[in-house]
Amino acid sequence: MHHPAPEPPLTPAEISRRRWLRSVIGAIVGSISSVVAVIVGGAIVAPALATRAAGWVPAGRLRDLDDDVPTPVTVRVTREDGYYEAVDQRVIFLVRSAGGSVKALSTTCTHLGCHVSYDPASKLIKCPCHGGVFTPDGRNVAGPPPRPLAELPVRVDASQVFVQL
Amino acid sequence: MGLGDWLNDRTGYRAGLRRVLDEPVPGDVNWWFTLGSVLLFLLALQFVTGITLTMYYAPTPAHAYDSLRFITTQLQFGRMLRGLHFYGASFIVVFAVLHLLRVLFFGAYKSPREVTWMTGIVLLLLVLAFGLTGYLLPWDQRAYWATVVTINIAKSTPLVGPYIADIMRGGPDIGALTLSRWYSTHVILLPVGVLLFVVTHLYLMRRHGIAGHFNPRPLPTSPFYPVHAVKDTIVIAAVFALLFTLAAYTKAPLMGVADPSDASYVPRPEWYFLGLFQLLKYFPGKLEPVGAIGIPTLVVALLFLLPFLDRRPERDPRARPRVSAVVTLVVVAVSTLTWLGFRDTPVEQDPANWSPRAVAGLDIATSQRCVRCHAPGGAGPDLGRGRINRDVQWIQTHVADPDMIAGGLRTPPPEGLKTQETRAVVAWVQKVREGAPLPHVAGAERLAFDVFATRCITCHTIDGDGGKEGPDLSHAGKKHDAAWFAKWIADPSSINPDSDMPAFRGRLTDDEMQAIAGFLAARR
Repeated sequence: MHHPAPEPPLTPAEISRRRWLRSVIGAIVGSISSVVAVIVGGAIVAPALATRAAGWVPAGRLRDLDDDVPTPVTVRVTREDGYYEAVDQRVIFLVRSAGGSVKALSTTCTHLGCHVSYDPASKLIKCPCHGGVFTPDGRNVAGPPPRPLAELPVRVDASQVFVQL
Repeated sequence: MGLGDWLNDRTGYRAGLRRVLDEPVPGDVNWWFTLGSVLLFLLALQFVTGITLTMYYAPTPAHAYDSLRFITTQLQFGRMLRGLHFYGASFIVVFAVLHLLRVLFFGAYKSPREVTWMTGIVLLLLVLAFGLTGYLLPWDQRAYWATVVTINIAKSTPLVGPYIADIMRGGPDIGALTLSRWYSTHVILLPVGVLLFVVTHLYLMRRHGIAGHFNPRPLPTSPFYPVHAVKDTIVIAAVFALLFTLAAYTKAPLMGVADPSDASYVPRPEWYFLGLFQLLKYFPGKLEPVGAIGIPTLVVALLFLLPFLDRRPERDPRARPRVSAVVTLVVVAVSTLTWLGFRDTPVEQDPANWSPRAVAGLDIATSQRCVRCHAPGGAGPDLGRGRINRDVQWIQTHVADPDMIAGGLRTPPPEGLKTQETRAVVAWVQKVREGAPLPHVAGAERLAFDVFATRCITCHTIDGDGGKEGPDLSHAGKKHDAAWFAKWIADPSSINPDSDMPAFRGRLTDDEMQAIAGFLAARR
């Protein structure tokens, strides 16, 4: 078995050479790590920063709505979800005022996100979770909800109602 | 006391780090000894890129292909990520073989390093298993058919073959269960195995020290860091630069989605299995297990047991001619087989080549009757994005009668599509899903494509696609010229009164007949 000679004491020149070698290693390792970090980090973070473009979706006909009564309407929204296209069924309220203008309200309670429903007896929109109460046009009037129901952009085209989701 | 001092006091990490970095390395250790470090780097890179890929990959037959297409075409740096992982796998095979040959040449597998060598052989097999399982994951034509072949090879093992094949498939067919078990093997089982064996391999390497040159010179030792680590780092930088360039400038291949009904596809393994694939051609019929199982097992067994077959202490390759000769022979044989395999590889179909059917489908799908719903913001999904997850039957039913599936969303079109038009749209949908570039077909040729794919194709075949009632027209231009075709198509009975082919005068416009006659005359 061969035994190599042990290392002799270092000269000042050798010490400075090794310091330089260490900086070469540091620079290379740093560069490679940064390149990999940008690629991997970018791939992980980029989808989180993407915003969804809202599109107009048909939500029903004007003549099917009663005045001042929130009518629950199920809309079909196709949504890009990574590698596939998801289809969401979402329920919104369409409310036509006596004047003829139409409002679209979200059915998501502004308190903690439960689904609200319209109670025809009291003519109020109620949340089943913590007793939040809204008027038919979405104002929060009782219980914990801090804000009115969210209003969605509406467009009426040839008596067909479109909402933006 | 700083945080580092506190941590050191509680863990003693500095002494541990010093032990790792200050390993005394013989002075005659040269650049050939950097290959192990390169492998370690490449494995780490596969782990990092692989973990990131799992965030977007979906191991199901319905989504695997589309998730991969999403990664390569839409995800930020996604193409780069897959490129690094894809080519990184090939790099690992190359450097593993170089590392093995280096150890063979320097005789470093000899006592006391037998177990280090054996763990190395296990690591090589694990790396190959990574390649094999990873190959299926894109779920494209290559993946699917290469896996069919792999499983059939395993099936040819005497006695237990059929059981092994069933276990590999997770049932009688290749499908969802196959994909998920190969995925699990690729991302959990094999990484754990590699991790265990790499740690053991490194531990044993440190335990016995680096073997160094077979004719050691009496040079003083020096610490691994930074004197030898700098060489490792420089080689790693060069390898990474090469890998990065490859990933940035060449696209990792992705064929059309796996189609179990397509019998025309000629399977090809990844290049590092080409030699084995080629070997099988020389063992037809009953002899196949000899080539498929026998010879590879023999080579692996020889490699694995080498330290016990060659026990004399000489390490100089010139002093052990038999081992050197056998190693050279195996290297030459594997290289030759791989080269022969390459030469026999059929040309992959260029995705830029469109069949008449697909072109006609494109023209139908971009016509008003499809676009009025299938547009951004329309009632149907935007078809141009290639996100169609429906199966062929669904698409056929839908395009023939859109109202039946998407009932009540809009007024039905005046008429549904005919069978050939439907099949054309389906062919186009497949092209879109593959992300193929738009076809370079225009003018009369395009008109001819549209007519052929919706009319003639019912009875006539071109390039293997079409009906069998009439003659195959793939090379029609060898027999007749355009004028003859124009006359024949207008009224076949004017040339041959016994012909079964209907006359198309009045059913096709003059332009259409001219276009199709010119198109057929050009098919030589």
